[in-house]
Amino acid sequence: MADIQATIDPGLMLMISLAAGPKHGHAMLLDVERFAGVRLGPGTLYGALSRLEASGHVEPLPAEGRRRPYRLTGAGKAALEQRLGSLQRAVATGLARVSA
Amino acid sequence: MTRLITRLYPRAWRDRYGAELSDLIDETGMTPRVAIDVARGAAREWTNQARLGLAGGGSVVIGPAWRHPQMWAAMALIILAPTAAFVLLSILAYQLGATWLITFMEPVTRWMQTVRIIDLMLVVSPVIALLIAAAPLVRVELHREATGREAVVGVRLKAANVLIGLLALFIAVLLVGHILAESVLRVGA
Repeated sequence: MADIQATIDPGLMLMISLAAGPKHGHAMLLDVERFAGVRLGPGTLYGALSRLEASGHVEPLPAEGRRRPYRLTGAGKAALEQRLGSLQRAVATGLARVSA
Repeated sequence: MTRLITRLYPRAWRDRYGAELSDLIDETGMTPRVAIDVARGAAREWTNQARLGLAGGGSVVIGPAWRHPQMWAAMALIILAPTAAFVLLSILAYQLGATWLITFMEPVTRWMQTVRIIDLMLVVSPVIALLIAAAPLVRVELHREATGREAVVGVRLKAANVLIGLLALFIAVLLVGHILAESVLRVGA
């Protein structure tokens, strides 16, 4: 688990989580843990979230009580598609070379 | 504890995300691992802020003690107090002839010579106290102007900090002078 944690990109994980719909911090944390098997720390999560917001990839929605949900923007969705596409090519190439 | 640890973040970041981060910590629970993660996140935000300031983004102010000068002055005084008391008693006993104090000072001095760390702390503490007292008097602002990057150093005078700082400096000079004089006398003998 420690090795996975070290190589994980928290920003990418959050974008994948938000691709399914708007979520607040705790929901993102649980979702990432569910699909990636990695538990992000609160400092890591909000650090990544603030950078994604600064780059225009996610945006905050009106607060629901004490929680504030975030959603993926159009630019964020395009960036995520591009990133996942290049990762997919890298993974496919790697797997093909390993099995050759 | 949660409020305390989120205070590690730069003010601008804390104003925007601090409440949400506090809520998330309350929901996940504060464990040593969470505390380390949050402290690491705070360090990263300070680094980002400094880099932004130097690269021409928003300005960044470096002056961690600027907002609580009295608290820092009190800390400096606490650190300085044992050395100040020892120096005062030594002057009274050995320089001003208060012989009744010598019977008290002799065993204390002998004990300190056997525990070297105490001896060392006695000399180092005025320097630490001076730095702590002076820290709230200075702050550096990094920002970008039309002419290029600028670092503006702000200096102010706060009576308590200046007084304690000067006292620490005075005691440090006294101690160094005393050590040097003793060394010269020892070499001369």
